[in-house]
Amino acid sequence: MKVEFINPFVEAAYRVLKQEVGAEIEKGQLSIVESAHTSEEVTVMIGVVGRVQGAVFYGMSEKTAKQMAAKMLGQSTPVFDSMAESAIAELGNVITGLASGGLEKAGYQCRLAPPTVIFGRGVIISTVNIKRLVIPLSTQYGRIQINVALRENGPPLELNAPGSGAGEQVRRL
Amino acid sequence: MLPKVLVVDDAAFMRMRSRQLLTEHGYQVEEAENGQEAVEKYKENRPDVVLMDITMPVMDGITATKEIMKLDQGARIVICSAMGQQSMVIEAVKAGAKDFIVKPYQPEKVLSAIKKQAENSG
Repeated sequence: MKVEFINPFVEAAYRVLKQEVGAEIEKGQLSIVESAHTSEEVTVMIGVVGRVQGAVFYGMSEKTAKQMAAKMLGQSTPVFDSMAESAIAELGNVITGLASGGLEKAGYQCRLAPPTVIFGRGVIISTVNIKRLVIPLSTQYGRIQINVALRENGPPLELNAPGSGAGEQVRRL
Repeated sequence: MLPKVLVVDDAAFMRMRSRQLLTEHGYQVEEAENGQEAVEKYKENRPDVVLMDITMPVMDGITATKEIMKLDQGARIVICSAMGQQSMVIEAVKAGAKDFIVKPYQPEKVLSAIKKQAENSG
């Protein structure tokens, strides 16, 4: 697990959770684990392919998910219905998308798959030989645990290298 | 007549959010859940502006933008995506997008981009 993979996720999580649900965040102790990921009550999973590959998981209790969804929807969510599920999936999607910009700056261009939401604590998800960086975050809605299971897939690209696309000019219309 | 906006996103929550915002500000809103549905709805309804996500199942937003531009070189497509990488912005603009909004969703930015394109359409 490269150190360049950590900060984009931490920074993106702070920004997105603050903006979308007004979260006050406290970061816990980071750790790296090799065992399979065990899901929490609600887990958003997003696949990543490109110069880095693997998956990112956002785990939380159903209560936390409901409270954040209620904030995003502007209404109470006594039941974690499909709209609440979509809102929580979007949170994971936006954090990962924003983090992918930071990964690109470090030379690791990547693309994301649409989010998948897994319900039920204790589902074992193997990341097949990819170590997981665990980022625990505490918020007023409860704990959110980000698991980043990414590995390099080729050397990083220089930002302005041919093929990176990053040196080209954007012509705004 | 009210300007028509086609909102394309696989996330029901995002479609609802954009529908609420745009209808409150005087736009007619159509929705599509993926790029392929967006191309079909564009053919049928010729909206003034398309608000397009990128990461979607069936057909992604970049491919859909290219397909819509084949149908109508004057199409006004605004990308609204979490995928704010520089390379992605370049890819979107090359595909024909007229603007690119990076999530987190900021209603004032979405409205401003849609208003600008609606004024320039047709």
